Amino acid sequence: MTRVGLALAVLGLAVAGAGALAADAPELAVTIEKNRFQPDEIRVKAGAPFVLVITNRDPGPEEFESKQLRIEKVIPSGKTVRLRMPALKPGVYSFVGEYHEKTAKGRIVAE
Amino acid sequence: MAATFIVTLREGFEAALLLGIVYTCLEKLSARQHYRWVTLGGALGLAASVLMGVVITLLSGPLLDLGPDLLGVVVIFAAVALLTWHGWWMRGHAVTLSGDVQRRVREAHLTRRLWAVGLIAFTGVFREGAETVLFLWGLVTQAAAGVATWSGFAGGVLGLATAAALGWAVFHGGRRLSLPTFFAVTSAVLLLVAAGLVATGVGRLQGLGVLPHTETLWDTSALLDDASVIGGFASGLVGYRARPTAVEVMGYMIYVLGAGSLFFRWPAAGRAA
Repeated sequence: MTRVGLALAVLGLAVAGAGALAADAPELAVTIEKNRFQPDEIRVKAGAPFVLVITNRDPGPEEFESKQLRIEKVIPSGKTVRLRMPALKPGVYSFVGEYHEKTAKGRIVAE
Repeated sequence: MAATFIVTLREGFEAALLLGIVYTCLEKLSARQHYRWVTLGGALGLAASVLMGVVITLLSGPLLDLGPDLLGVVVIFAAVALLTWHGWWMRGHAVTLSGDVQRRVREAHLTRRLWAVGLIAFTGVFREGAETVLFLWGLVTQAAAGVATWSGFAGGVLGLATAAALGWAVFHGGRRLSLPTFFAVTSAVLLLVAAGLVATGVGRLQGLGVLPHTETLWDTSALLDDASVIGGFASGLVGYRARPTAVEVMGYMIYVLGAGSLFFRWPAAGRAA
């Protein structure tokens, strides 16, 4: 039990630490409306962490998912989630709204 | 309808597979009277998923930003620990198969440890449960608001039913196998499922920024995309990744080697020595 507690504490600290480092990272707003991302192309500087501020304006929840970036994040209806993103190598990283994969598609372009 | 069917089938498959396996294990050990532990674990997993789904929609701020992700990682590694225990425990039972005394010892052993089998059912269902609950809930609210059709919800329910049918097929097929074959196959499957979970957990930690991002080792998404149905099965069953990172592959390999030696220690080799 203590070990589990310790592991949790370490994990929490690590995440908090990662958060602190990203505190002054630029924020980019993304809105989910009518099962689409707006904007659906997000341009960021390669090599610098950033924060995606995703607001879901739809009546139902959506899940922001990027298989490439190993991110799965449920955003309940009417809520805003701040997603800390790592520094990316130059490239294109696609993401979808897993609950509406046909329409909710987008990509992050790091350059 | 097809799209929602695929989502819930993909989410429900792993849980159904694990439930099928643990039920069959109990059946194989003539411990049917203990099915209730698995059923209870599964039911509690479902209840926890609904609760978690509600809680997620109530959270906001940093709690919503990080809370569900941290819990998700904890559940993944808890599931790995439980499956490792189960594989090790099964090996013990596969070795002592006959003899009345041995059987009674085994039963006592079994009863004392059965809460853990229930926990496997719990984590199996809970792992993707909250997401699935939210997904279905979203389909209902959207259909009720008139922005989507009810066939989407029907597809979602059908996907879960299909996953359950696959779990049942595992149970039914597993029962027919001879005991040694069943234990060998199950150990191998559990080893790979757990290794896949290790890769998932490690990947999540990378996504959360706890572990550094590493190079993608290969890209087979053109051949078999892990977002497709078959790719989803392969991902749940053997931990297939179309674009694995170096750290994920490392975690997977270390787990397979470490836990593999725990699951498959050949008794003949031990006696010969």
